[in-house]
Amino acid sequence: MLNIKTIDDATINQRVYQLNLGPQHPSTHGVMHLLLTLDGEVVVKIEPIIGYSHRGHEKMAENRIYEQYLPNPARMDYLSGMIFNHGYCMAVEKLCGIEVPRRAEYIRVITSELNRIASHFIGTMDYAMGLGAITPFLWGWDDRENILDLLEMISGSRLTYSYGRFGGVRNDITKEFYDGTRKFIDRLRSRFWDYENLINQNVIFIKRSKEVGVISKEDALAFGVTGPTLRGSGVKYDVRKNEPYSAYPEFKFEIPTRKEGDCLARYQVRMAELEQSVNIIEQALDHLPPGPVRAKVPRFVTPPEGDCYVTFESARGAAGFYIVSDGTRVPYRIKVRAPSFSNLFVLTKICPGHFLADIVAIFGSIDVTVPEIDR
Amino acid sequence: MLTAGQKKLLVELKSSLAEAVPEGQISESDYAKKGYHLEVRLDKGGLRRVAQTMLDKRFMLETVTAVDFIDSFELVYLYATYYHQYCRVLTRIRIAKDAQPYSVSAIYPAAIWLEREVYDFFGIRFQEHPDLKRIINPDDADYFPLLKNFGKTKFTDQIDDILC
Repeated sequence: MLNIKTIDDATINQRVYQLNLGPQHPSTHGVMHLLLTLDGEVVVKIEPIIGYSHRGHEKMAENRIYEQYLPNPARMDYLSGMIFNHGYCMAVEKLCGIEVPRRAEYIRVITSELNRIASHFIGTMDYAMGLGAITPFLWGWDDRENILDLLEMISGSRLTYSYGRFGGVRNDITKEFYDGTRKFIDRLRSRFWDYENLINQNVIFIKRSKEVGVISKEDALAFGVTGPTLRGSGVKYDVRKNEPYSAYPEFKFEIPTRKEGDCLARYQVRMAELEQSVNIIEQALDHLPPGPVRAKVPRFVTPPEGDCYVTFESARGAAGFYIVSDGTRVPYRIKVRAPSFSNLFVLTKICPGHFLADIVAIFGSIDVTVPEIDR
Repeated sequence: MLTAGQKKLLVELKSSLAEAVPEGQISESDYAKKGYHLEVRLDKGGLRRVAQTMLDKRFMLETVTAVDFIDSFELVYLYATYYHQYCRVLTRIRIAKDAQPYSVSAIYPAAIWLEREVYDFFGIRFQEHPDLKRIINPDDADYFPLLKNFGKTKFTDQIDDILC
């Protein structure tokens, strides 16, 4: 027991004190530590402390050949593993100059977009749960479970996929996957209205997210914010549209934006993106070209000397791979641009002045994945 | 293929960069192969002048990284834009192993964390950085993990022979 006689009056009467939110906190979904300096209930300063789930993915790259690194990218951002896997394959293909068959590009887009929907369900519904609404979370996970089943059907894993290969994908999609995706899209379309009714008009939800945690356009630029967090601030930037890669230029889709920049805007952008992703998948399934799913690529790639940077839109923003090759089979250096890393740092700018309870809302609305920040 | 807007932006960028850093070598690179449009070599300094120029042109600091070339470091700053047609500028600077480059965090707050990460993994100490300490590795770590002499195993040298 603490000997309270040793605590002097100055300590008891102090106004400003520090509070540890995390590292084990339910709302931080991951091992994230926020060190808050509070004046009463108002945040004066916030310092995110990261690195609890650092596994050294960038160092690992220097100790193995390009093919052996294929399972790693999905383990960085475990919620959008397929997209990271796709991005890594694109980076090595760019370095080696490998052409990818069109069917493979389409399959990559379909799987990436399915993964984006799954990830956005966590982002939005986990945010709603952070604000005290349990039902949307369970509904979202129900839909997400269908996607995981679909992706397991073709890639063999539920979360940390290594489905992509240099020059294509591991195997062609099956009839069950094709029909299952169609069925899933129909089911999801019919449920959008339910989500709208369930949470979007809820008074508590609106009051806790409207005009909370406003990120201005200027802050977004200075801090390098990307993804739905940026689009919630009214900047129309999406790597899929602005810097098209893979088969994305062939599909019609919108970039949803909101100009408010608050938590509600970020939530709405994610919900609107679900619909756009569904549209992309539907178009890709309609026009799925025949042909091979993997180009003829040597068993072990040996990129020429040089470097390249490839960016792609993960569920959290513009991620990227910067690869330096020295002409051998082992990468000389791989740097990963983690969108959550930049998105998280903006908290230090926007959080001061908010109540402690709002920090949970702001943190949830930015939707970071901790293993991606730590890598 | 570059669009007309991109070409115009590149010409503008080149002239304003040449004005800001006359000693730097600015060259256009093949976007299809490299993933960036403009490469700026700054072996004689000028990191902060480039950063100021890029901020005036409304570019964001995409990432900061370093590469360990055994006898020297190469610092890489990537700038990208989301206001114009897409355009990416890569800035390289070769520095000695014990050099202390100036931080750009006064211009781009994003660099505070990105440069802390570079310090954490490579041991490059940035001057005029507001908060230079460990970020991902433990506070009491006495190693810099991404240096080439760290974590080298017997396996590392033989990896090519074992697998192929």
